[in-house]
Order: sequence, then structure tokens, then C-alpha cells
Amino acid sequence: MELLVGYILSGGVVLSVLCLVTGIVWRWVATGSPGLDYQIKGMNLAGFCLQVFRQAAAGHFEAHLFVNLGIALLLLTPYLRVVASVVYFAFVERNIKYTFFTAIVCAVLTYSLLLR
Amino acid sequence: MHSFFILFGISIAAGFVGAMAGMGGGVVLIPALTLMHMDIKKAIALSIVSVIATSSGAAAAYVRDRLTNLKVGMFLEMFTIIGAIVGASITVAVNSRWLFILFGAVLLTSWGALLARRNEEWKPVENPDRFSQWLELEGSYPDKAAPGGESEISYRATHAAWGGGLMFIAGLIAGLLGIGAGALKVIIHDMVMGLPPKVSTTTSNLIIGVTALAGTSVYLAQGLIDPGLAAPIILGILTGAFLGTRVLVRLPNQKVRQFFMIVLALLGIEMILRGIRGTL
Repeated sequence: MELLVGYILSGGVVLSVLCLVTGIVWRWVATGSPGLDYQIKGMNLAGFCLQVFRQAAAGHFEAHLFVNLGIALLLLTPYLRVVASVVYFAFVERNIKYTFFTAIVCAVLTYSLLLR
Repeated sequence: MHSFFILFGISIAAGFVGAMAGMGGGVVLIPALTLMHMDIKKAIALSIVSVIATSSGAAAAYVRDRLTNLKVGMFLEMFTIIGAIVGASITVAVNSRWLFILFGAVLLTSWGALLARRNEEWKPVENPDRFSQWLELEGSYPDKAAPGGESEISYRATHAAWGGGLMFIAGLIAGLLGIGAGALKVIIHDMVMGLPPKVSTTTSNLIIGVTALAGTSVYLAQGLIDPGLAAPIILGILTGAFLGTRVLVRLPNQKVRQFFMIVLALLGIEMILRGIRGTL
């Protein structure tokens, strides 16, 4: 369990940093300035992540997609950790109490991702 | 106005100073961004994203070293995330002046707490209350600094109900001000629940990531997070925190650390004054 949680956390952060750096360097090479200026408007976190992953899956690779992807991966890292904990407590440790607690955390987080 | 390199540089400095003083980068980042005339609500929103990065990065190593107590973390997260959602919603609605004053006050409080807990010895909890026992809040961790080689240290937590309630407040402050509020969480673990210092700092680190995510959701839905501004800040804070912890272990004495703690105290006072005067 410790190893799984550890790898999810470090893997998420490393991937996210790689995406951010790729996006920024790309932008820098393409336009001569590493700064990007755009906003996320009228979207909740789940919507943002979905949109980013859809664009990535469709192959619309651009500098700002990598930056978005980096941010989405970073935000999903703790979420994924909680989901993995629910699965672990439910199926590996079969601990009803902690399956319940982690499920509550997971439910509240999911609710927050869908907030408008 | 807020160019990439300036944001990146400020974030490195904030991560560095935060790590040197034993806190996160947010406590330095937010005052610095507001001094650059960024709206404090935007600064808070950007800071809380970077909190996810630093806490996840650090937590990964601690969890693998078995220093973190996952059960304590999971139980307390139920309270902090609800607090964070409430806190972030308050920030979105409230007048910015109050945020300045509150930020300064929290900064000074955590500063005082950091100063106070320095030389206290940890005493194992003998008789945990029944609720804490029912929650299975116990564990052990390998102590590499023990005299006579590595040894396993067992501990049990107590006062879980109190801990939960207080954690709601810690989460509220984290969501409200866009900081990890790690210092407050550590106090609750140490003083109320009787966890050993190593376990309390590392477990608080784990909790901070999820708490910050709950707050981030609220800010993102409000359109307060610009990816173009978030990117240099995330990278800068991570770099600064990494450098800071590297330098910290090599420091021969407490002098340098004290200097950074004074910087933090001054930032706290300055924030309160700006809030009172209304010169935002």
C-alpha cells in the first residue's frame, strides 16, 4: 500500500512537471517568449480535465495543451491516490471502517470536482 | 504585466524561504504576489495549486519510508476537505481586506507555534480513548536516528474526535488562504493526538495535498486559475522547495533558519497593516 501510494504521488508530480516544461519550452521555441496567456472560464475541474484529455487523445498537440495537461495531471494526482486507497481498503485489506472513510473522502472530492 | 521569468523567480525564492523556515511556499508566495499588485484572491488560487505539487512530491518519499500513517491521514482528510471547500467559498465571496488581515494573523500564529514546539520531547500515549482505539489509529515507524542503530518505534494516537473537529478548522484556513496550513496540522497531531513528531509532519504532508485539491476545485470553477500563470509558479515553488530542503540539511547552525523566520514574521505584520490601512 505504501509503495502504491508513493508511486502514484511521485509519478503524478514527475509527469506533470515534464508536461509543463515541454509546454513552456515549446512555446518559447515557437514564439520567443515562454509566457502563455489564456484563462479557464466557465468550467469545473472535471470538465477541464476531460477537455484536456480529449484534446490530447485527438492529437491536437500544442504548447498550451501540454501546460494544461501538466496542470490536469497534477490536480488528479491526490484524487487518484484517494481512489486507490478506497480500492485497497475494500479489496486487499477488507477493512470496512476504512473503506467507508476513504469512500467519504472520495465522494466529497468528486463533488468538489463537479462544483460550478 | 506578470511576466513568466518574474513569476518563476519569485516562486523559487518563495519555495526556498518557505522550506528554510519550515513552512510551505504559500506563506511567502502570496504576500510577494500581492506586492506585485496581483489580486489577493488570484494569488491565493495560484498558491493552492502549487501546494498540491510540493505536498505530493514530499509525501511520496515519506509514505515509501513508512513514516506516514495512512489511516490517521485518511480519517482526518474527511474533515479537512470539507473545511477547504467551505474556506475557499468564503474567500470567493469576502472583501479582500479581511483576507490580508486573516493571512497575517495566521502567519504569525503558525510562526509562534513553530517557535514553541522546538524543544519538546515526545511522550508515547499510554491509554488512548475508545474512539481512537476503534479507529485503529496506531502504528510504528523505523527510526534511523535511534542510538544503537535503526529501531522500530510504536505509537498510538488519542483524542481522535477532537483532532477531527480541529482539522476541519485547519482545512478551512488552508482553503481560505491558499496555504498548506501544515504548521497548524502538525500542532493538532502533536499536542492533541499525541503522535510522534516525524509521523505528525509527514502525515500532515499527505493530508495537505488532498485538502488543497478540494480548495483548488472551488477556485478553478470560479475562473481564478490561469494556466499561463500557474505553470511558472508550480515549477518555481518545486525548484525552490527542493533547493531549500537540500540546503537546510547541510546548515551547521540555527542562525540562518532564524533569519528566515524573522522574514516570515515581518511578512505577517506587513499583511495585517495593509489590510487595516486598506492599501491593497
